[in-house]
Amino acid sequence: MNRLAQGMVMVLLGAAALSVTVASQDYLNYVRGEFRPFLIAAGAVLVLLGLVAVVAELRSPEDEAEPGHDPAHGHDHGRAPVVAWLLLLPVVVIFVVAPPALGAYTAAAADPAAAVERALPDDVPADTPDADGPVEMSLREFVVRAWTDEERSMAGREIRLTGFAVPNPDGEGWYLARLQIACCAADAIVNRVLIVNQEEPPADSWWTVTGRWVEPEGDIRRVRDHRFEVTEMVPVDHPPDPYE
Amino acid sequence: MSEQPSRTPASTPSLGASLIRDWDEPADGQELPPPEWGRPPRSRTTATVWWFVLFIAVLLAGQALLAGRLTHEAFLAWATVFTAISLQALPFLVFGVALSAAITALVPPQVWQRIVPRRAALAVPAAGLSGAVLPGCECASVPVAGGLIRRGVPPAAALTFLLAAPAINPVVIVATMVAFPGQPEMAVARFLASLGAAVAVGWLWAAFGRTDWLRLPRTGGGRTTGWRAFADTMRHDLMHAGGFLVLGGLVASGVNVLVPREWLAAVADTPVLSVLALALLAVVLSICSEADAFVVVSFTEFSATAKLAFLVVGPMVDLKLIALQAGAFGWAFVRRFVPLTLAATLLGTVLVGGLLL
Repeated sequence: MNRLAQGMVMVLLGAAALSVTVASQDYLNYVRGEFRPFLIAAGAVLVLLGLVAVVAELRSPEDEAEPGHDPAHGHDHGRAPVVAWLLLLPVVVIFVVAPPALGAYTAAAADPAAAVERALPDDVPADTPDADGPVEMSLREFVVRAWTDEERSMAGREIRLTGFAVPNPDGEGWYLARLQIACCAADAIVNRVLIVNQEEPPADSWWTVTGRWVEPEGDIRRVRDHRFEVTEMVPVDHPPDPYE
Repeated sequence: MSEQPSRTPASTPSLGASLIRDWDEPADGQELPPPEWGRPPRSRTTATVWWFVLFIAVLLAGQALLAGRLTHEAFLAWATVFTAISLQALPFLVFGVALSAAITALVPPQVWQRIVPRRAALAVPAAGLSGAVLPGCECASVPVAGGLIRRGVPPAAALTFLLAAPAINPVVIVATMVAFPGQPEMAVARFLASLGAAVAVGWLWAAFGRTDWLRLPRTGGGRTTGWRAFADTMRHDLMHAGGFLVLGGLVASGVNVLVPREWLAAVADTPVLSVLALALLAVVLSICSEADAFVVVSFTEFSATAKLAFLVVGPMVDLKLIALQAGAFGWAFVRRFVPLTLAATLLGTVLVGGLLL
């Protein structure tokens, strides 16, 4: 790969990084929101560096036969290995495929037990807030409470959850789920509740449901999926930040 | 027409016959295409420009026709994870490479010679610790180590630096802490196990290593310093590391989406096998050390020690590094150095993992 091509690859890669952060909100499908400034900076540096290389190359075309260049050494400073062309692959995927946020497919395959293991209840307040109306809760908070709160303070409370529908392949009902990411979509784990008293909506459709936790009998930690009894179900738009 | 060459005697060859003969037996030392065909740099430049114009046109057409219309679920999940790994790693790669380029291009090489102690026994831990201060990608550390050896630094110390710099530099440690929120012990364990393994390999090399195992790179040291060299080094390192990073992201996202979780979970339950499995995965994936922590958190089924193996082995032994080292120092070196490093990293992982995690 000659220097001009390297410069162009860098410009395209930087443009791809900038297009998902500046021109759209798509980066939220891949990484956490806090990551935006770093992506913008990296994209800008890539575009700048690539433009410097392209301009320098167009002004004075490559000094191909560099003095002291040893072909057997295979590490010429001006040329890049063939594998560097792979840098165009993220560019193609971002512009042509425009991958959506992970959804029902991943949520169905992911292991729900992992959520409990990794849930750090630090940021979940000890008591369910006192309110007259239904309590808004993230699905993560709900499952953490359901699995760890021995006081069962959620019992009998009206709770409102937002998530997307996931079919349940081995049993009754369907799941309302939300994926949780620590860093990027590669580490997504699923938080989900089982809903049996409503018609199953199409997979990946988003809903805000109001209802009650079905208090399990016996040990709350032994429950495979916590159930949610829905009283009201409202379709919602796909939120800009799909993960929690 | 086709009979003409056979009718003509060889002494007075027709155009066709001479072409055929020349085709069969090119004159010795004559390159094909011959230089007088003329491939001036300008034409190559033009070809590259046209290639990219075509590529961007195809990209735009593809975007207009396909973006958002693909529906294959597994493919889309793979595409999302692949994009996520690439984008997540990008800033770490760019800034890691920028810092390493600043060191290569803006710090005069004599500084290293003055800092590093002459005696190998002392120089090895010093070089290991300097890896904790100086950021450098794996791909950058191989040429830097070659340059250090050429400038008179003991090989054992330069090799310790080669191993330590990508494993325990500040960018990597911060990335590890970001990737494992609430688990600072992971970054601490990574630092200790990697430093221990690098210093152990350095001392062993100082005691038993032979000079003729190491084929020193002859060129590449004539690099100038300054801002032009900074931009050049940065572009060079980005190109060398970036391609392998995408390759690692490809394999990782493929494993992430295609390999059923039960397979990994089956291996994850056995302590020895799980450590070896993630160590092997680290060698195969060849992910840049700035980004590997973000990949390994997705293997939620594995124990902390197995994840540590991934983080300790990956920056020191992987396919990309082996290729780079073979190019810089020769296969005789790789044959001895790589198994030694692998053993040291696994031992360090088990010891530190057993104590800390």
